[in-house]
Amino acid sequence: MANIATQRIKREFKEVIKSEEVAKCAIRVQLVDDNYTELKGEIAGPPDTPYEGGNFVLEIKVPETYPFNPPKVRFITKIWHPNISSVTGAICLDILKDQWAAAMTLRTVLLSLQALLSSAEPDDPQDAVVAKQYKDKLDMFEKTARHWTHVYAGGPCYNQEFADKIKRLEDMGVEENQARVALSSYNWDLERATEQLFSS
Amino acid sequence: MNFEEEYMYEDSGNETSGDDVDFGVEADGCSHTNIQAYEEEYQFEVLSTEAIVQHMIDCIRDVNTVVQIPSTTTRILLNYFNWDKEKLMERYYDGNQDDLFKEAHVINPFKKQTTPTKIKSSKKLSGTEECDICFMVLPPAEMTGLECGHRFCYQCWNEYLTTKVMEEGVGQTIACAAHNCPILVDDQTVMRLVKDNRVRFKYQHLITNSFVECNRLLRWCPSPDCTYAVKVTYVDSRPVQCTCGHTFCFACGENWHDPVRCTILRRWIKKCDDDSETSNWIAANTKECPKCNATIEKDGGCNHMICKNQSCKADFCWVCLGPWEPHGSSWYNCNRFDEDEAKAARNAQEKSRAKLQRYLFYCNRYMNHMQSLRFEHKLYRSIKDKMEEMQQHNMSWIEVQFLKKAVDILCECRQALMYTYVFAFYLKKTNQSVIFEDNQKDLETATEMLSEYLERDITQENLIDIKQKVQDKYRYCDGRRKALLEHVHEGYEKDWWQYSET
Repeated sequence: MANIATQRIKREFKEVIKSEEVAKCAIRVQLVDDNYTELKGEIAGPPDTPYEGGNFVLEIKVPETYPFNPPKVRFITKIWHPNISSVTGAICLDILKDQWAAAMTLRTVLLSLQALLSSAEPDDPQDAVVAKQYKDKLDMFEKTARHWTHVYAGGPCYNQEFADKIKRLEDMGVEENQARVALSSYNWDLERATEQLFSS
Repeated sequence: MNFEEEYMYEDSGNETSGDDVDFGVEADGCSHTNIQAYEEEYQFEVLSTEAIVQHMIDCIRDVNTVVQIPSTTTRILLNYFNWDKEKLMERYYDGNQDDLFKEAHVINPFKKQTTPTKIKSSKKLSGTEECDICFMVLPPAEMTGLECGHRFCYQCWNEYLTTKVMEEGVGQTIACAAHNCPILVDDQTVMRLVKDNRVRFKYQHLITNSFVECNRLLRWCPSPDCTYAVKVTYVDSRPVQCTCGHTFCFACGENWHDPVRCTILRRWIKKCDDDSETSNWIAANTKECPKCNATIEKDGGCNHMICKNQSCKADFCWVCLGPWEPHGSSWYNCNRFDEDEAKAARNAQEKSRAKLQRYLFYCNRYMNHMQSLRFEHKLYRSIKDKMEEMQQHNMSWIEVQFLKKAVDILCECRQALMYTYVFAFYLKKTNQSVIFEDNQKDLETATEMLSEYLERDITQENLIDIKQKVQDKYRYCDGRRKALLEHVHEGYEKDWWQYSET
């Protein structure tokens, strides 16, 4: 890896570890391999959002040309959010694309992602289904996001109704995650979700 | 590349005898298009890459004689106004200058003293600074930045600018490397900070390119690999000739296309490029299965069609597209042929077929002339050989020049004819369009005859005869070509021409 990139990551690594956000358990980075090309990031779900109490894991890939090109970041923890794909975890965020600046760091990226969790941009969606729900049925969206946070990111809010519905589909032989995606996409309408699952 | 002063010349529009002299030496002296074919002269100038750079510098200097700001700032401002000096001056003196500088993403040079350079984001550590990109702690001498105050080390600047220029292809609009800082990096700073000559060269290329592309009065010569640009004093659909020999329309950049206008030509080119003709062919030659909508071409056999789509296998009649059953045993004939529905389908199909044929008619003729024009170089070469041969047979140099003149005229006629087909394709039939088509036919016949004469073998015996014939013919062709163009132009002025929407 290019000299500047390695040097930068090493320094940034220390910066993040030392930063006050780490002290508050808000963000964290870990090395995945020894040559600093891949890192694991973690962000805490911001308070007063459906993601509160959850811990979200990110995959960070550092390109050869870092920091002149942005790092490649995606969510490993499944998340229900208009700007994040519920399937692949791909993120739609300007600073990870054309608005990237060389003076930005892993810390700023993680903080920006945390900010994205508290203020979604449904007009520039990565996941159209989620974005539609966010705009049409905000209440349903929040419940769903909270449920996902509970299941995948260790959030505190258990939803008996949702769990029951998933159980019903599981009883029909549907895989759990698949059942959750289908129900979430159809506003937890069991009938329509079943229809969709069995028609394809 | 060897650019010299001689490339810059003002074309007065006159046919200079100098061009003719060149012909004896160069095989490609074919570029002798008659530029002042009609109306008054059109002033233009061909600029080499160096001359473009000089022109750019002159523009900046012009502004700087009035406005006392650094030339690097002027360049950014000019670029912001697409190199329109008047617009810049107007805004500079009429509006809020602060806003102007802000919009153009450059620091107001008059404010520099009042706002001392503040180091915004780099922390000062006892006589050293930290570069925000590589996080190295370095002595201030190794750090640099723009007026916005964001400072980075030389190595990072170099890397940053290199990425922008080489990977993203940004030239004039590279912003400071700091996040959300819109301030643009000026050209001198880029040249100062970038070490690699390849990058510097590409950068120069990018900024000249944006200069030419933003500037209404400049246009790159569209000929492949040509590095010249043409400069005019006002934009018009007129032929300009580049030093490389290519003649093109200044307004649209296509080959000179008299008599057809730029907008119509653009429609034609789009039509030719589009797959729309493929779909026309499909419409004219195929039908859709009435059950599964698969596209079917009938390539023989009787009218009883059985769809080959395995999940469909519909039985239907090719003629009426109805189910086959009611046709009973009349296997080779559809007795429902004249029913209204079938008639309508048949009409639609015929219409589409006729349309396609009409297009193909004009397209073939257009392509045919284009093809012939491509052989132009070959023809010039063979004519040159002939001329040399004739000179060995006791003919003087001046006596054989008629051959070259004949090829010049032949090419001009072909080019004009080629575009008459584009014009004609869109033309609605009127009395004037009939006259136009007569002119076209006449010119076409004469041009083909001239072409034929030029391909004949010239011997000592038939020389006098051939020369007479060729000269007569090319004079006639030239006259007809001018008459045709004049007629079309008169039509433009008098609003004779009506276009169809094809």
